[in-house]
Amino acid sequence: MVNRVTERTLMTAFTNSVGRLRRQQAEAQAVLSSQKRLLEPSDDPIGAAQSTRLRGESRELGAYRDSVGVGTAALGAQDAILGEIHDMLIRAREIASSLSGGLSTPEARRTAAEEVAEIERGMVALGNTTVAGRYIFGGLSTSGPAFTSPDDPGFTPGTAYTGSTTPFSVRTARDESVRITTSGGAVFGSSLQAIDDLRQTLAAGNDPVGSMDPLQAASEDIRQERASVGGRLNRLQSRDREIGNAITTAKTLLSHVEDADLTETITQLAQVQNALQATLTAGNSLLHTTILDYLRL
Amino acid sequence: MAIFAPLSIGRLALLANERAIGVTGHNIANVNTKGFSRQEAVLSATRPDSSGFGTGVQLSTVVRSVDGFLDARQLASTSSLGGATTGRQLLDRLQAYFPVGDQGVGNALAEFFAAANDVANNPQDLAARNQLLEVGTSLAGQLRNAAGGIQQLQREADQRLGQSAFDANAVLQNLAQLNREIVAADRAGRETNDLRDQRQVALGELANHLSIQVVEGDSGSINVYAASGQGLLIGTDAVTLKTELDPAHLGLDGNPLSRIGIAARDGSVISLSGEVGGTIGTLLDLRDGTLVDNAAALDLLASNLRDGINAVQTNPAGRDLNGAVGLDFFSGAGAADLRVAIADPHGIAAGQGTDPADNTNALALADVAQQSFPGLGGATLTGYFGTIQATIGQQARGADESVTIQENVSSALAAQREAVSGVSLDEEFTDLIRYQRGFQAAAQLINVSNTLLDDLLGLVS
Repeated sequence: MVNRVTERTLMTAFTNSVGRLRRQQAEAQAVLSSQKRLLEPSDDPIGAAQSTRLRGESRELGAYRDSVGVGTAALGAQDAILGEIHDMLIRAREIASSLSGGLSTPEARRTAAEEVAEIERGMVALGNTTVAGRYIFGGLSTSGPAFTSPDDPGFTPGTAYTGSTTPFSVRTARDESVRITTSGGAVFGSSLQAIDDLRQTLAAGNDPVGSMDPLQAASEDIRQERASVGGRLNRLQSRDREIGNAITTAKTLLSHVEDADLTETITQLAQVQNALQATLTAGNSLLHTTILDYLRL
Repeated sequence: MAIFAPLSIGRLALLANERAIGVTGHNIANVNTKGFSRQEAVLSATRPDSSGFGTGVQLSTVVRSVDGFLDARQLASTSSLGGATTGRQLLDRLQAYFPVGDQGVGNALAEFFAAANDVANNPQDLAARNQLLEVGTSLAGQLRNAAGGIQQLQREADQRLGQSAFDANAVLQNLAQLNREIVAADRAGRETNDLRDQRQVALGELANHLSIQVVEGDSGSINVYAASGQGLLIGTDAVTLKTELDPAHLGLDGNPLSRIGIAARDGSVISLSGEVGGTIGTLLDLRDGTLVDNAAALDLLASNLRDGINAVQTNPAGRDLNGAVGLDFFSGAGAADLRVAIADPHGIAAGQGTDPADNTNALALADVAQQSFPGLGGATLTGYFGTIQATIGQQARGADESVTIQENVSSALAAQREAVSGVSLDEEFTDLIRYQRGFQAAAQLINVSNTLLDDLLGLVS
């Protein structure tokens, strides 16, 4: 502290104090209006880098969640359809069973062949189901139907599948992908073949007893595939919850890095305002008091 | 003792007090003059007469209250504050190109890879592909914007050098003139206090531009040297600071930058060497160091992004929607000219093999986000950008802290100088009364002497 204080010293100290307090007031105001303590990198350089990383991670998790959404929709649809296919195979077995043996007439079998043909058409239609324009049993392609129609000339179950055979996976974590397609050819192949054989057997008026085992085997194929779809669906659903938790964690951390402590800031603002008021009052009194008020020259 | 002696003493006292009141008045008048140093009338007794009796008072000199060491410290502080303030101004603007929150390059990177993931989820969807091209364009735009901002700041720093040299030359000429006047006044026995104050103010202005060393000679003139020892002002001979474009020193925008130095007689420029200090020193440091380093870091990020994405996009196994191997996604040599090179969304190589529904390559594209780049010291793209952001934030924060520290130092020195050299009106008014009383007493003395003379003359008559 200097021992000789001039008017200018007082004036400068006053101006500097008011300037500093006004700056603090403006800073507190900016924090309060934005509710952020991190407004530019220099506010907290390491925090700025953390903020960028956490925001990147948050967005990345959001992208994984989108992928999980796509996967859940596709696998959910597949699960429902495989259930229906399974029901169709049971119905076909019932028909085959009821028309087996000597009690059934060739006419009754030929009539039943029509119903089986409908089942076959229905099965192909289910195989060509789309979600958002994508064939869910056609490798999620939009290029064209996965199966040709049984009404097309030259239709054979073995060549009916024309969809994509490439497995389609979605990224659900940095090191995890989940396959969300099932090749229609592989899954439906045995079912279509068994149904088509049954239709032809019945159409020829023959005993369909030979179709029972293939229908049973096809049912087993569908059941196994459905178990696989269900397993992957469960994984996606559980991954969705994990992502939700991770996003919450990232947002909490981000808030910790970026957000202002409003109570603290409001207290600081009140302190600054008090100090400013005191400085202005003191300045008013000090700067207006000179020896001239007391001297008569 | 002669009868006229009191009359003479009274006359001298009148004169001395009158001149002292003049000095006080000068102080009062200059209470708000920048750089003015309080002056003090030094009264001393005149030589005694042959009998040893006192003969009165005289104003022997008017001294200027200064502390030479404090002045030197203030010049050094002015240089530091000038440099720090310039640094803060430019770095504050630099960090604005690297914002935190939902904007800037960091955010654009996150959006880009999220869009790549969308393409992986929907490889045949043209909307998702278009979105990837759009966010890629936005990312490249953000990088160009940041690089362009650094280029502009570098060009501005270069132009400011020219302005600083111009201003410093005016100050040097002023100093040379003041040196001339001080030497002349000194020789003529005149007071040089006010001229010296003006010279000190001019030195402060020069110190704002660059660090200086001041050496005062016996004649009263000063020599001024740059921190490197290069002479800037020798007596009345001031050098000219000059900037000229140096074709060998190209800026980030590809155009030549200036070389600042002392103009030689043959018209060439002798560069300022070593630590220059002040505004010029900071401008040189920023222009040739900080900004270049940050631009290089941004270029490194851009080129690694370009190469990382292009490597996946042009993978020979990859196929675009037309069944062809992909072409480069990004083009450009660095951040300043980074652009998305493909316009057709079909051109994104999302798959591998002949199946258009395949998303293998798009997954690899999205995976670049997690890729560790040897060229970036093993960091990911986002991680490296965070490092750039933290570095620039630290530089801006450091500059801000420097300004605060130098402001405090400068304030403390100013208060100390004010304690030595400042005009206190309280003191001056007290002095005014003191000298007024002295003047009144001297007048009274003359009055008494006059009465004595009258009495004496009355006896004679």
